[in-house]
Amino acid sequence: MTPIDVEAIVFIVVKAAVLIGLGLYTVFAIVLVRQEQLMAHVLEESFQPVLRLIVYMHLFASLFVFGAAFILL
Amino acid sequence: MGPLTSFAERPSPIRFETQHEKEIVELFLRQHVIVNLGWVLTAIVMIVAPWVIFPVFFSLITLPFTIPANYIVVAVLAWYLGTFGFVLANFIDWFFNIYIVTNERLVDIDFLHLLYKHFTQAEIYRIQEISFTTGGIIATFFNYGTVFIQTAGDMPNIEFANVPFPERVVQIIRKQMEKRGGVRV
Repeated sequence: MTPIDVEAIVFIVVKAAVLIGLGLYTVFAIVLVRQEQLMAHVLEESFQPVLRLIVYMHLFASLFVFGAAFILL
Repeated sequence: MGPLTSFAERPSPIRFETQHEKEIVELFLRQHVIVNLGWVLTAIVMIVAPWVIFPVFFSLITLPFTIPANYIVVAVLAWYLGTFGFVLANFIDWFFNIYIVTNERLVDIDFLHLLYKHFTQAEIYRIQEISFTTGGIIATFFNYGTVFIQTAGDMPNIEFANVPFPERVVQIIRKQMEKRGGVRV
């Protein structure tokens, strides 16, 4: 019988929880992008392109952190 | 108009959904920029927390295990990502909650929690009464307040909350009412 490595199980559980959390956060980032598109349709003004760039940066940052967590943990 | 504009007379270039071809935007309003102070201060605390607050906190408690360095890296990245999202969501919430006075009507566009859009409008000629209120130290200091617009019949009343220069807003709406012949005492 092989002994159960409790520490390894804890790290797997933590990694799964972190990835699920970051996955849900990425969904939130996608919702922000979609909302910005819908809002831009309601109000057209000069700052819109900058705001669109920022929400896309946020989405890419969330994907980057998800990838980093997948690789590093 | 800049990204932090909260009061603009005859702004350009700006267009909103349902705007008619000959409809002119006379006044564009958002809540006064100072109403964002609460979440801005929270964001500043969130930015400095990993370098100031967390080390102090972890020096006061003793963990029965050592947190691996890769977990700390991911935790810091996730923390700053969350801070970024917090700032962005709050800014968008403020940025897209707007009030517009045109030569034909008043428009109140609200986005609630990023998921619900609430569009209210009232034609100028239907306005019965306008009033405004301002109170509190911060509102008095920065000169912002809430303008209440009461409309006739079943039309919804409109409230321009925490807008800069409320007395000027009332003047501009009254001027439009006079042009439309809709001023009632």
